[in-house]
Amino acid sequence: MYLTVTNATKHYGSFRALNDVSISIEKGEFVCLLGPSGCGKTSLLRIIAGLADLDKGDVQLNGQSLLKLSARKRGFGIVFQSYSLFPNMSVAENIGYGLKIRKVPADQISARVSELLNIIKLPQFADKIPGQLSGGQQQRVALARAIAVNPRVLLLDEPLSALDAQVRGELRDEIHQLQRSLGIPTLMVTHDQEEALALADKIICMNHGVVVQAGTPHELYHKPATRFVATFMGTSNMLSTAKIRSIMPELLSTRPRGDDDQYDACIRPESIRIVDNPAGEASIVSIGFLGNLSKIKLESPLGNLIVEVQGATHFKEQQKVSLDIALVDCIWVANDVLGTAE
Amino acid sequence: MSSLFSRRPDGDKLLTIACLVVPLIGLTLFFLYPMFTVFIRSITLADGGLGLQNYTDTLASSGFWRATRHSMSMGFTTMIISVFLGFIIAHGLHRCSFRGKWIIRSVIILPLLAPSLIQALGLIFLLGRNGVINRVFGLELDIYGFWGLTLANTLYAIPQVVMIIGASLVLLDARIYEAAEMMGAKPIRQFRDLTLPAIFFALLNAGFVVFIVTITDFGNAAVIAGDYSVLATEIYTQVVGLRNFNMGAVVGIMLLLPTVVSYYIERKAMARQKGQLNSNIQPFIPRFQAGRDIPMAAACFFIVGLIVAVVAIVIYASFVKLWPYNFDFTLKHFDITTAGGYGSLWITIGISLGAAVGGTLLIFILNLGLLRLPAAISQTIQVLAAMPAAVPGIVLGLAYILTFNSTSTPLYMLYGTATLIAVINFYHYHTQAFLTVMTGFRQFPKALEEASGSLGAGLGSTAVNVIAPFVSPMLVAVFFFLFMRSMVTLSAVVFLTTPQLNVAAVTIMRLDDAGLTSQAAAFSTCVMAVVALALGIMKLILSIQSKRSTRSA
Repeated sequence: MYLTVTNATKHYGSFRALNDVSISIEKGEFVCLLGPSGCGKTSLLRIIAGLADLDKGDVQLNGQSLLKLSARKRGFGIVFQSYSLFPNMSVAENIGYGLKIRKVPADQISARVSELLNIIKLPQFADKIPGQLSGGQQQRVALARAIAVNPRVLLLDEPLSALDAQVRGELRDEIHQLQRSLGIPTLMVTHDQEEALALADKIICMNHGVVVQAGTPHELYHKPATRFVATFMGTSNMLSTAKIRSIMPELLSTRPRGDDDQYDACIRPESIRIVDNPAGEASIVSIGFLGNLSKIKLESPLGNLIVEVQGATHFKEQQKVSLDIALVDCIWVANDVLGTAE
Repeated sequence: MSSLFSRRPDGDKLLTIACLVVPLIGLTLFFLYPMFTVFIRSITLADGGLGLQNYTDTLASSGFWRATRHSMSMGFTTMIISVFLGFIIAHGLHRCSFRGKWIIRSVIILPLLAPSLIQALGLIFLLGRNGVINRVFGLELDIYGFWGLTLANTLYAIPQVVMIIGASLVLLDARIYEAAEMMGAKPIRQFRDLTLPAIFFALLNAGFVVFIVTITDFGNAAVIAGDYSVLATEIYTQVVGLRNFNMGAVVGIMLLLPTVVSYYIERKAMARQKGQLNSNIQPFIPRFQAGRDIPMAAACFFIVGLIVAVVAIVIYASFVKLWPYNFDFTLKHFDITTAGGYGSLWITIGISLGAAVGGTLLIFILNLGLLRLPAAISQTIQVLAAMPAAVPGIVLGLAYILTFNSTSTPLYMLYGTATLIAVINFYHYHTQAFLTVMTGFRQFPKALEEASGSLGAGLGSTAVNVIAPFVSPMLVAVFFFLFMRSMVTLSAVVFLTTPQLNVAAVTIMRLDDAGLTSQAAAFSTCVMAVVALALGIMKLILSIQSKRSTRSA
């Protein structure tokens, strides 16, 4: 394990931002810290960066504790949501700043800067000042600035959140490629599950200052451990044990032992198959056409369900249908959210 | 029906015109016309023709050159010292971590609550011939002259430097410093590469403001300059003493020059700051670092201590029997009968109330009038309304005496009246008042006015029922701002007082002139008490208002 955080605890006054959090990042790995705002993900990133102190716990790089090392000496790169370029310096000066601090000769700096400007596809912007650039361009420069000194770890604090949808998608792909080609261990904080799914080798899902689940994007989507993870990682139909027992008892076979309110069934909208059946027990309430898929809302004995099908659909509103749910598509998740499923 | 519907817009139009005409006539008559007069007088020759003779005469006069030289070196020294010291306080407040910042924040405004001769008075109690220092240590320090004046003006100017530099420091984004920190930049490097470039224009602007304020300020110079003649006192002697109006006009015009430069720099600084404002700024929260913060805190408290000490010593001295020999408590200095006694204090309170009431009303209706105007015309009027700030009080005072002391127009009627002093106080501080209320109007949601209009309310009732309550905090602030400034200002009004009509700040000067330093101190204490009371009432009203608005929201 390259970078590890062990038993990290952090308070802001009486608010506990982090509660005994342990995470790790391997060499070359892209890790996303995912969670709603206030879950502690940004606190954790700032602690790793050295911009905030820990109350308890340790941060280690290659087995060596970083706690005594100031942010300045950790050799990490960081990119903020707000770009945060130096407003009084040109694009080239921004990118070369870290090298200048390290007293790299001027000709080497300018060579490295133009190399990076090519990588971020802004070669003609060297002499512009940040105010003249668009948000997406500024964030590219911030990225180049962070990697210019070959940081030991790259930290990204919601780097795409301030950008509009189109630019966000483009930059997401570029970050992905760049990280893959450079192999810099990267930790990105985000509240956008789609971003995390697309970029991460490993997602660490946090809530209320604790790690709820860590794993590959595939694991978090298809095997969410808890109801919180299931609902945060995309849309899901949450069904109570009692409902399943009375309507589809065959799905109970995979359920872990426990009281009724300990586990709920999570069924992804794309896992439910619906079939024309005038005698079916479910009826279609509404159909939303989203282009690449259609979102169908159903009324059924299991309760209100959401079903997604690829592209357009031949189903009509008010139509009676029957449902088919495969045993493997019924995921039993621990109920960590107050209140019970329908 | 149709006449009923068309009546309202016409009524609005009339109201808009009325709202504009009154303040604009005021600005023309009491700002543009006097300024024009001072310019014309500066190029009017003895025989009535036009020419530059006055300028060449003035420039040839050795007295003028000496005063200019003195003003320049004093202004420059004051500028360097006060920008340096003010910067330390601003940097301490915004970028260092130590306790007790609220104390600094609350007492640093003290010099703005007293006439600008209080520093000189305090320094005389401290360092004068009968000052504490000379008595205790048996020294013969002479505070009168260059250093006394420079010190007094420095202590007067520091709070303004702190405000100007603080306003630009507060805009610095914490994330930018974190980025530099992550890239390995040491604090000193961050300061050089990030802070200094960002506050460069603020430093420059603060320097110019200090320079202008000190070379045009009258109060401290009159009390502590002694034989060291400076432009402000020289003009006063020439104009009031020797009736040399033409030279006064020439110097008045020339004193506008540095202001024009400063105005330009301020515009540039503002444009620059606007460019940086687009991204959402994370406020910088300094972490405690003993090596940096303990010396900075000590320096800040020391400088602020000096600023407070010279004011506090005046208050203290007004209550002791015989400075510096007998420190027993007494109220005898408050028994003032010479120089008109307390008459001028009551008159000044009256004048200040007049300036505050009339000024707030005029500013409000001017902004109301601007609401319905096309942008191009509205901007022209805004520029006009913002102009008086570029004119130092002493120049405005000169312009008034040249304009209103002349029997050639009916305006002569105003000369020697309290009304004219209230008027000059209002126009002296017109810009700050106008901009404050304009900010309020800018925040006023257009939709609210339209909603009120669509419910059938005309501009008049919208103004009274919807707009006025919304901008009332700004109106309250402007009212008290005008009142407090009018209570203490000296450089503009000193030209307009007569033996029959005095204001408080001038009385203090006369008492000091007559050698009644302790009575001057007592009178100053009274003025500060009135201003402090006004400040307290303002804070009370504003806090009640904000409580009420948060409760209703």
